[in-house]
Amino acid sequence: MAHTQPTGVAGVQARAAPRRRRFSQRAIVAWLFMLPILVLFALVVIGPSIAAVFYSFTDWSGIGKAEWVGLANYQKLFFQDLSFRKAFSNNIIWMIIFLIIPVTLALFAAGVLAPVRRGGMMFRAALFIPYLLPTVIVAQIWRNLLSPTQGIGALLANWGIAGFDRAFLGLSQTALYAIAFVNNWQWWGFLMVLFLAAMQNIPRELYDAARIDGASRLDEFRYVTLPGIMPTLVFMLLMTAIWSFLIFDYVWILTQGGPAGSSEVLGTLVYKNAFNRFEAGYASAIGLTMSALAGLMIVIFIMLRRRGWEI
Amino acid sequence: MKLFRISTFVTLIALALAACGGAPAAQPTAAPAAEQPTTAPAAVQPAAPATSDKAVVTFWFEPSDVGGNTACVIDAVIAPFNAQSTSIMVEAVPQPNLWDATRTALAGGSGPDIVVTPGPSFAFELVQADQLLALDDLAQQFNWGDMFVPWALNLGKVNGKLYSVPNEFETLVLYYNKTLFEKNGWAVPQTMDELMALSAKIKEAGVIPFAHSNAEWRPTNEWFVGTFFNRIAGPASVYAALKGEKSWTDPEFARAVDMLTRMQTEGYFMGGLDRYYTATGDERYAAFGNGAAAMNIEGTWAMGVEAGSMPSFFGQAAGNENDWDWIPIPSTKAGEAIFDIGIGSTYSIARTAKNPQAAAEFLTFFFSPATQARLLKDCGSAPAPVRLEADALDGIDPRKAQILEAMGKSSDAGTYGYTTWTFWPPKSDVYIYEEIEKVWAGDMTAQQYLEGLQTLFTEELKAGDIPPIPER
Repeated sequence: MAHTQPTGVAGVQARAAPRRRRFSQRAIVAWLFMLPILVLFALVVIGPSIAAVFYSFTDWSGIGKAEWVGLANYQKLFFQDLSFRKAFSNNIIWMIIFLIIPVTLALFAAGVLAPVRRGGMMFRAALFIPYLLPTVIVAQIWRNLLSPTQGIGALLANWGIAGFDRAFLGLSQTALYAIAFVNNWQWWGFLMVLFLAAMQNIPRELYDAARIDGASRLDEFRYVTLPGIMPTLVFMLLMTAIWSFLIFDYVWILTQGGPAGSSEVLGTLVYKNAFNRFEAGYASAIGLTMSALAGLMIVIFIMLRRRGWEI
Repeated sequence: MKLFRISTFVTLIALALAACGGAPAAQPTAAPAAEQPTTAPAAVQPAAPATSDKAVVTFWFEPSDVGGNTACVIDAVIAPFNAQSTSIMVEAVPQPNLWDATRTALAGGSGPDIVVTPGPSFAFELVQADQLLALDDLAQQFNWGDMFVPWALNLGKVNGKLYSVPNEFETLVLYYNKTLFEKNGWAVPQTMDELMALSAKIKEAGVIPFAHSNAEWRPTNEWFVGTFFNRIAGPASVYAALKGEKSWTDPEFARAVDMLTRMQTEGYFMGGLDRYYTATGDERYAAFGNGAAAMNIEGTWAMGVEAGSMPSFFGQAAGNENDWDWIPIPSTKAGEAIFDIGIGSTYSIARTAKNPQAAAEFLTFFFSPATQARLLKDCGSAPAPVRLEADALDGIDPRKAQILEAMGKSSDAGTYGYTTWTFWPPKSDVYIYEEIEKVWAGDMTAQQYLEGLQTLFTEELKAGDIPPIPER
């Protein structure tokens, strides 16, 4: 007996039903696979995040019960706490430094190394190696190198080159910049590798066409390379801006925010309030403010994309 | 709708970052944070295996407190206790960054039965969070009152109830390079004025007066603030201010801050503020040992037995012929020996401990004069403020023995001062060592510094956050 297929709307619905069943089964399987990571995410990210929002409105020592104080922590943060202002301005300085210096260095090095075929890998590896070292090791190395009695400055002074045998980490005027220098030494090699990878995806024909049009190396960089790596560049600028508000490790290891608060950043302020002063509620408010600043960067990024920026 | 999607996305990212913001390790580099231990290493159960009929007591200890020698505390305390007890087994876990690990575990509803904190003000926070057990009945049962010196148990009382017992009785003294002093004909100072004059003379001779720095421990600043408060204003004034009966803005405290600031700005500490903030521990001890620096105000912990402690930088092994000695830190009156009481850690029993009786029995063993003598001799640990037996100091460096004897006499006579990390509430304590750098930098006057301290201290006093202080 011939098997007759249903036709019309009823037929479409009849054929779609098993597909929906298959789809929903596949969806269930997919969600089952995702479930462990979702649970983990909820436990270690969403849960503590919601808790941090709650605690930012409380007077909480970090142990025991929290007392609801409304907006008092934010009032203190924005209108009374001079340390917060100092730390915030230091984070801004940090962001400006890291948006300019390592990015410029990395773009320059990547631009120079991109066409190098022989021995290029050796240079790339050499510049990338600092990024592979643990922060504590890098900080300790540079603490010794910056020592005015045993470091590079002392060596230069022995050679008659004065002015560098100073305790840069111990001077209020230079401490923040000295820490930024150390962090940058480790960081820029990573940026260079990213830019280099992006540059290698630019079609060679574009460079050939530019040369035929009489473009110089600088023109090639400006009109071919930069537009070609723009998404990577802007993404890294965005991430650098966000990370600049989260900096903690180098500052903590090298100066703990000193001398006299000259290298204090929001991250060290959070730590001191939460763990030294037992003001975990207030520390949560600072943490949330840091997050809001990071969120602001992301909003800017999304808005630019929506306006047609290819980033 | 678009706006909603953006704001939802931003909120999620912000929340995720808030979680990072709460933790200190957020970083623009790939390296992991250096100080995040929360997982306990394997427990050490020496001497006897745990059996089901033995009550188990969990005990976390800081390896660095015993000169990095984990085996020492096991041999001196845990193994003898487990060997002699037929009913209790102590599970000892060496736990680096002990306080962070303990606090995190307690907040999460777990943690050890024996709770060790870095000092009475930390134990006080745990009492307020209802994490510790009141020990009065157990103290009476095990006669702790007879074991400790008179004022010691008062340090652990909150609202009249005993919650912690003090360990690591320490003080600050003035160490000096004896050989250098003899070579230059310098007399040890008897008063603060003599100390200032001597510092000027030492500097003129091209020697650094004090081998001080805070690069590896920023709260080092508080050693000096506390020292000058107790020596210039005097312990009675400090006591009155700690009780809220006197203001920190009174002139005697301002004089103390001014004198300390003068020492810093004259470059007496390590040659200048920049070096004070950057010289490592090895650098300053090396300078002290080889005679580049003449004196050092530091705690009794400096006289450790391990490599890297202050004494290891003196003598032929360190490549010099120098020797060190000590005197009490001079005060305004000649011959007045003030020893500031410092407590390096406290011991308590967790509210959640399954067998408080067993935990108390272990604490009784731990704080017994015999065990404390073993820790002192074998591990170089500072002893608890207990009544040590006459032979307890036999075999240790006689200079260390002299300090311990002098501390004991001072505590019995009530002529002691107060260390900031033991008797000040946490916010005021952090203020003392953080903000003093602004005075030294010239960003703040001594009076402004003390006004800030007074404001913060008053807040903490009103909130009842002042650590216990023994009656004077």
